Amino acid sequence: MLESMLLYLAAALTLVTSVMVAVTRNTVHSALWMVASCFLLAVVFLFLRLQFMAALQVIIYAGAVMMFIIFAIMMLNLRVNPGRIQLRSTKTAGLVLVLFLFPALLLLLGMGRGIAALQGQVSLRALEQFGEVPLLANVMFSDYLLPFELVSILLTVGVIGAVALAKKRKD
Amino acid sequence: MIEHQSLFLALAVTLFFIGAAGAVVRRNAIIVFMCIEIMLGGVNLAFLTFTRTTQNLDGAFMVMCIMAVAAVEAAVGLAIFFLLYRKTGSIDLEKFNLLKW
Repeated sequence: MLESMLLYLAAALTLVTSVMVAVTRNTVHSALWMVASCFLLAVVFLFLRLQFMAALQVIIYAGAVMMFIIFAIMMLNLRVNPGRIQLRSTKTAGLVLVLFLFPALLLLLGMGRGIAALQGQVSLRALEQFGEVPLLANVMFSDYLLPFELVSILLTVGVIGAVALAKKRKD
Repeated sequence: MIEHQSLFLALAVTLFFIGAAGAVVRRNAIIVFMCIEIMLGGVNLAFLTFTRTTQNLDGAFMVMCIMAVAAVEAAVGLAIFFLLYRKTGSIDLEKFNLLKW
């Protein structure tokens, strides 16, 4: 009962902070709301009993990605207020599309009831006994070794690309 | 079937569409970027919910891939913002309209 209430609270706060990210005028405030949103999403992951994923969420999103963004805001010197949100015709069309697709997808969720029939190889008992780290490592280094290596290559390419893009040209 | 499955999924969908609406409407490139991160967060939540529902760790691995891609996207995207800022002195997306019809 208490857990349900805490889950509802965390979910509601996640939604509120995410909306604040999208509507706040000040970029720095928006970034701070985003940090809060990342933390609250990690709390929601905890309610799924996935502690490692919650830790990753905090470390990668609230730590690394948001630090990148705050550095970018600092270096770009965005003190100029970009002004009010203006709705142009294309934006209005996009917004209408989004607002139409949202209830459609929610409705679709209500129809999906057959998913519990698919039972995977990882039992709940194993998940509670070992935690997800050994199980995930087992999957990662056997079935998904090639995608794992490809992700590491992607990270290397990303770092090199970012440096190559952002460094000052000599000419 | 886990408890509150539909709550988790509804939260995931709502986060995705909050991010989509923000990415469509906002002009500040960094805020658009953060809205895209919110969309990725919603997708991650859906993957993790199905990881628990189907008791299959493929979704969890997918989430780790998404997080790696998000980190790379942050690095490359912000480098691109630097370039845009150096060229025009602003990151207002309305000013970059060469590809618009």
